[in-house]
Amino acid sequence: MAEFVEADNAEAIIARIETKSRKIESLLKQYKHVEALKTALEGSPPKTRDERCKSANWIVVHRALMAIKDIDGMLNALDAEYYDILMKYLYRGLSTGDRPTCDQCLKIHEKLTERAGLGCILRCLTDTINTV
Amino acid sequence: MAAVDVHRFAESITCHAWSPDYSMVALCPNNTEVHIYKSLSQDQWERLHVLQKHDQIVSGIDWSSKSNKIVTVSHDRNSYVWSLEGGEWVPTLVILRLNRAALCVQWSPKENKFAVGSGAKTVCICYYEQENNWWVSKLIRKRHESSVTSVAWHPNNVLLATTSTDGKCRVFSTFIKGVDTKDSKAGSPAEAKFGEQILQLDLSYSWAFGVKWSPSGNTLAYVGHSSMIYFVDDVGPSPLAQSVAFRDLPLRDVLFISEKMVIGVGYDSNPMVFAADDTGIWSFIRYIGEKKAASSNSSYSSQFSEAFGKFYGSQSKSATANDASESRGRVHDNCINSIVPLSKAGGPKVMRFSTSGLDGKIAIWDLENMEQELGNQF
Repeated sequence: MAEFVEADNAEAIIARIETKSRKIESLLKQYKHVEALKTALEGSPPKTRDERCKSANWIVVHRALMAIKDIDGMLNALDAEYYDILMKYLYRGLSTGDRPTCDQCLKIHEKLTERAGLGCILRCLTDTINTV
Repeated sequence: MAAVDVHRFAESITCHAWSPDYSMVALCPNNTEVHIYKSLSQDQWERLHVLQKHDQIVSGIDWSSKSNKIVTVSHDRNSYVWSLEGGEWVPTLVILRLNRAALCVQWSPKENKFAVGSGAKTVCICYYEQENNWWVSKLIRKRHESSVTSVAWHPNNVLLATTSTDGKCRVFSTFIKGVDTKDSKAGSPAEAKFGEQILQLDLSYSWAFGVKWSPSGNTLAYVGHSSMIYFVDDVGPSPLAQSVAFRDLPLRDVLFISEKMVIGVGYDSNPMVFAADDTGIWSFIRYIGEKKAASSNSSYSSQFSEAFGKFYGSQSKSATANDASESRGRVHDNCINSIVPLSKAGGPKVMRFSTSGLDGKIAIWDLENMEQELGNQF
């Protein structure tokens, strides 16, 4: 399979995620939900095998995802290059089993599949290297 | 609609190949035999021969157009070269020296060699030794980390591209002394010794299938199981690779119908057209049977709508079903496994091709009237 090299060490990545998290909190306070999600998805998935980084990133994305109320609007504003990443996080959300998370992820999943097609789901399932 | 002839030969077809004059087709109906059918008239096919030698499923068939020989490879790790003698097909065993199944086979452009991809992570290059009157197999053992799913010969008869379930596409030299003549140009890639890897492409994260060269040998195309298709221009020391992600289910095989246009077939049961624009950027154009506008609307066949209904359950308020598939007039009902050209190899354009799939049908497609619709890349 295609290999990747660890871009940075874990600490640097976690520091970046924390900066992202603060930015997202402020965006959410201003009701800029779509901006918040875009910021959360940027730089994802972290190019590392370290589970802590992935979890930290997931927490940030989760925060932004749960705040979304207008799903169609959000997908309209999101560039197509983010679809594959978003789909990966949706599956991570669905795997948590937590009721409100799953409800939200399922709603977004339906709309995203309509837009991005089954290919998006395939790319999410077959990519075992860049996992979230 | 571009499909001119559709016929169901069996429950399921593993692979197929056409005779030099395209009047007969050899196919494997998902068992250990190879059936040869002759076309009598539109939709009238007569079974002429049944070739029974393999012990397991025949995974690859190729019919050479100049020497009229059929090569078959099977999961039983064997290969036979069949020659027509006195109206009967006579097999010659080729000892491949494999300890795993053979998965795919192709005659080289000059038909003096053929390549076999196998589950033993090796590629066998077989050539005919006149003195001993038999076919010798030389193995490329190195490099592949997993099964070789597909092989394709470059027009120069020496370079071979392979795809593997390790996700990589590789190009090797298969120069054999005594069979191939050295190219007079110094430093040309054909001078590399046998089994030397010229290029390795690491574009896919998932299994790779269906590699093919463009008519000039300048471009390579192959597919990944993650609904991606990869195009590599200027294959050589500094290739230009492009990964194209598309909406729907993955492809299994591709065919270059011109230098800048590729048809992909796979799990969507409907051939897809990809083309490169003037700047060399490849993209998905359309499905072959559809009008351009229709494809922008969400389109799932009825088999998915029920599943989606259950998945989304009470959540879904809008209708997920969209019976666009019925109106698309699909030719194949199930995954299309292979696509074979019906034009003489070496030509710049392919006007006719055939597809076969798990539904047991072979469909012949003619692009004669589609030149307008396909645009100037064709």
